[in-house]
Order: sequence, then C-alpha cells, then structure tokens
Amino acid sequence: MKLQAQYNKISIASTIIVLLIAGAGYYFLLQYILKEQLDETLRVEQVEIQDFIQTKHSLPPATTYKDQRIEFKKTDKALQQNFRTLMLYDSDEKENELSRQLDFSVEVNGQYYIVSVTKSQEATEEIIGVILLITLGLIILLSMLLFFANRFLVKRLWKPFQTTLSSIKSFDLNAPSAIKTEKTTIHEFNELNENISMMTERVVKDYLSLKHFIDHASHEMQTPLAVVNSKLDVLIQDPSLNEKNLQDLQVIYDSVDKMSKLSQSLLLLARIENNQFSEKQEVNIHNIAKNIILELDEWISERSLTVNNEINELKANMNPQLANTLITNLIINAIKHSNKQENILLRSDKNILTISNPGTQALDKDRIFDRFWKSEYSDGTGLGLAIAKQICDHYGFLLQYEFSQRTHHFSIIF
Amino acid sequence: MKLLIIEDEKELAASIASYLKNENYTCEIASNYKQALDKIETSDYECIALDITLPGGSGMQLLKELKNNKKTDGVIIISAKNSIDDRINGLRLGADDYLVKPFHLSELAARINAIIRRKMYSGNNVIRFNEISIDTLAKEVKVKEDPVELTRKEYELLVYFLSNQRKVISKNALISHLWSQEMGTGESADIIYTHIKNLRKKLSERGCGDYIRSLYGLGYKLTDQ
Repeated sequence: MKLQAQYNKISIASTIIVLLIAGAGYYFLLQYILKEQLDETLRVEQVEIQDFIQTKHSLPPATTYKDQRIEFKKTDKALQQNFRTLMLYDSDEKENELSRQLDFSVEVNGQYYIVSVTKSQEATEEIIGVILLITLGLIILLSMLLFFANRFLVKRLWKPFQTTLSSIKSFDLNAPSAIKTEKTTIHEFNELNENISMMTERVVKDYLSLKHFIDHASHEMQTPLAVVNSKLDVLIQDPSLNEKNLQDLQVIYDSVDKMSKLSQSLLLLARIENNQFSEKQEVNIHNIAKNIILELDEWISERSLTVNNEINELKANMNPQLANTLITNLIINAIKHSNKQENILLRSDKNILTISNPGTQALDKDRIFDRFWKSEYSDGTGLGLAIAKQICDHYGFLLQYEFSQRTHHFSIIF
Repeated sequence: MKLLIIEDEKELAASIASYLKNENYTCEIASNYKQALDKIETSDYECIALDITLPGGSGMQLLKELKNNKKTDGVIIISAKNSIDDRINGLRLGADDYLVKPFHLSELAARINAIIRRKMYSGNNVIRFNEISIDTLAKEVKVKEDPVELTRKEYELLVYFLSNQRKVISKNALISHLWSQEMGTGESADIIYTHIKNLRKKLSERGCGDYIRSLYGLGYKLTDQ
C-alpha cells in the first residue's frame, strides 16, 4: 500500500472516530445541561406556586400557556417531589411532544394536592438535532478536506522524494551519472538526498576500483603466463632435447593452458558479476546452437554422437557473447559427459530450452552449479556450469538440472 | 624486413624476438613508451607487435602517433586485456590485429605474416614452401602447379605450418589456433593427428615431399632438412 493511501486511511478513520465520540459526548452533555436548565425553570415555577399558596391560602389557577402547563389534582397524602420525562399531547401542534414534568404536593387548608408543572422539551430536542447535524456536516467536510489535502498537498510535499526515487531507479553503474535531486525545505528529504549522493559516489568509486582491480589482476596473471608460454615455444626449438624432456615439456604446456583457462574463466565470472556486459540485443538461440554444434563437429563425430537441434523459434534478450558462452558451456558439458554413440537432444518449448543427454545416475543437484564442483569423470576447470548459472542469474533466467529416465536434463527458462 | 616489438616484459620481448628472427626478419625491441616513440618516429617497420600497458604511456597513444605521422606500419596489439572495448578501440585506431596474452609464438608469427602479406604484396598473397604454394586470397593450395583440395581445417593447418617454417609447433598451439572452444587436450590431440595424417596423404598424392615431422607427440614441424 502506498504511504499516502496508508496515511489517508489512518487519518480519515481516526478523524471519523474522534468526531463520532465527540459528537456523542456533545449530545449527552448538552442533553444533560438543557435538562438541568429545564428542571431549574420547573423549580422556579414550584417556588412561585408555593409562595402563592402561602400568601393567598388558595390554589393558583391551573394554566396552559404556550409550552407550559400547570395542573392540580387532589390527593390523600403528601408526595415526594419527582421529575420525569413523558410524551404529552399538544393540542396546538396536534401531536405528541416530549415534555418534562415536575410533580410535587402542596397543602391548602388541610387538603393535599399534587401539582404537576409541565414544560415542552421540543426546543431542547431541536437544539440537539442541530448540533448533531453540524457535527455530521463537520465530519464529512473534514474528511473531504483531508482527502483532497492528501491528494494535492501531500503529493506536492513528496515530490522531491519522487524525483530522487526515479533518479535512483534509472541509476546504472555502467553509465553512472549523479543522482538528480530537488532542492527542498524539508529536512528529512535533504538528509536523504545528501546520503544517497554520498552513497552512490562511494559505490561508483568502489565499482571503478573493482573494475581496475580486475583489469590489473588480468594483466598481472596473463603476462607471466605469456612469458612461460613463450619460453616453452622457444625451448622446444632446441634440437638437443630428448624424448623425456619433451614429455615433461608437454606436461608444462598442458598445465599452463589449464591455468590460463582458469584465470580467464574467473575473470569472466567477475565481469558478469560486475555487470560489464551491458550491451543487450535479441539473440536467436536456434542459430547460436546451430553454429556451436558446427564448431564442435569434430568432437561430436570423434565420439560418434548425434546432436539433434530441435529448438524452435526461441529468442532471448541478452548479450550475444554471453548467449554464446551459455549455450556453448551447456553443449560442451553434454558432449563431455556422453558415451560413444549416444544422442544429445536440444529442444525448446515456448521460452524453455532443454539440453538432454543420457546418463547412468543423477548428479548432485545442489552442488552441480557451484564453482569448482566436478564430477569424478570431469577433467575441466569446474567452472563451465558455474559460468552458465552466473549468466542466467544475471538476466533473471532460471537454470535447472533434472535427472529422469536415465537422462540428464539442463533447462533454461528465459 | 624489420619488426618492432613494443613490450615492457623484457623476457617476453626477448622470446618473441628470438622466435621471429630468421633470414627474412630482423627484430628490434622497445620496452617503454619513450623508446617506442623514438623508434617509430625514426624508422619504418613492416610490422609492430604492440603491448597496450607500457611504462610512461599507453599503446593506444602510440597508435594515434602512428596515424598522425601517416605511417603505414602494420600493427598487431598484444594485450593481457581480453576486452571487446579495447579490441574495437585498437582496430579503430588503425591496428591490424589483436592478440590476447598468453599466446603461442607460432600464433603471433602466423598473424604477423598475414599482416605483412596484406600490406606488402597487395593482390599477390602467396606463401611458398618448396613445391607447395598457397594463395591466401583465393584460398588455393597447389603442389607445383597441381591444385589440392583440402578441408577448411586442413587448409588452416597448412597455412599455419607455412607461416612457421622449420619451427616446432606445439600441439597446444595448433589446438588453440584451430578452435576457439576447447574440449580437453587428449581428444583434441587425436583430432589434430587425424587432420595432419589426412593433410600429409593429400599432399603426397600430388607428389609432394613429406615435410611434416612429428616430435614425440609434443608437436609438429614443417621442415625439409
């Protein structure tokens, strides 16, 4: 959920709750105060009646004036004075009205009377009604105000943040440009912008030094290897070397070859990790596989293998060089681990490429893509599948291994 | 013909020079930027083997100097950097080829030969060894005047041998020359052996002398001695 929506939800909900509680509180408090006030006027009336009886020794006339009514009723004994609320028929308005009534007893010449003083409560109810309406109106108005304030004001307040965010989103380490920020008076955003700028500068610096490190590592390793290789090439020209010498030299040649292949593979891994293959284009997997099979033709026929390329229209958006390396490594892997006269099958289903070759037992699914992991029959560097995995990870493709029906299946989901 | 090797690793430069020099070539060595600049300004070379990272400057800068001085020396970059950017930049600045370290000297010799052939004998790209002649433009092989039909790999092998006449070429060098992908030396050696056997057979059928010698499995040599 967006921060703004979350904020809207909380603020509007809390406003409504507070206003509802306040409205209810208001309602009861007002009702109480107005009732007290009404009771007070009833009491004033009571005192006036009692005064009248004391001085005149007779009952005042029963009256009905506007919304006030005084009635007398004979009774046997004195009564406790009592306030009550009741519905009374109003002959003027021709309807029942909510009223407040005070009953008390008086004694006139030895006779007890119950005096009922009644006042309409209608006016009070009206006030309360109006207040409720105002409260409700306020709730609606405030919610609307909050909603629009959030929509426009908050949106404007967050604009510097959005600018920074989109700048971060489009940030590319391979073409680093300074993070674009917007000047703002909001302290938090300024702090955020400052720190992001500092962080990206540091990251760019680290990345560059890493890149230089790779270049240097490459240079430092390849040059001594080149020296060894060149010395061997000169050394074997010597006609006085005997068969034993030449066999030893062959071992040295092979080791140097292996070492340079290893360092090149490690550099390739580092370069993929460092995102140094940013160039992307649509590549045709069928054609790539076709060319690789052609290139490896001699090894395929040396082992009397058949390789069937049944890949349909399968395209991937990636670096062509990496696409070639990826498919090559998987095909070479299949060739290397096949026995004579077996069949390697390349097929595709929608966006899935599967390379299958027969085998006797499943390989360790969890470790097969680890660097330097080798099956006991492998004489390679142990990096071929690790490189394939790294390439797939780089583009978010899924590389999977499965063993079923005595066949190894390597699948890429593009 | 004069070759210049611009390489700061002195031992590597010495090996290159000792391998390349023969009756046709003399080699000079420059081990830093200033030396190299002096040499390219004062004389002309048929081909320059140029390292990119040099003390005192960059090989790329030297390429620019050559271009500015309208020199036509052939240039092959020998770099430890296997980066496409460098390769493209180098070729754009007028280099003729790009070879990544570590390399085999026979590979360097073959490529330098190819550059010189292109530069010197425009329209007449023929390499010869006794009765064998190869027209590298038409990709035609002849024994005396008889054409020989070769497969692509056999042809590549023969050109490689003729570019490294009377030199022992290691099996490893032949393998990395013929294939960019490597499948393991054991099998590759068998395949190379088969190719060479077929090549010798095809040449001898045309009455060509048997010049390719095997050296205890370590490598091969094209020789008439």
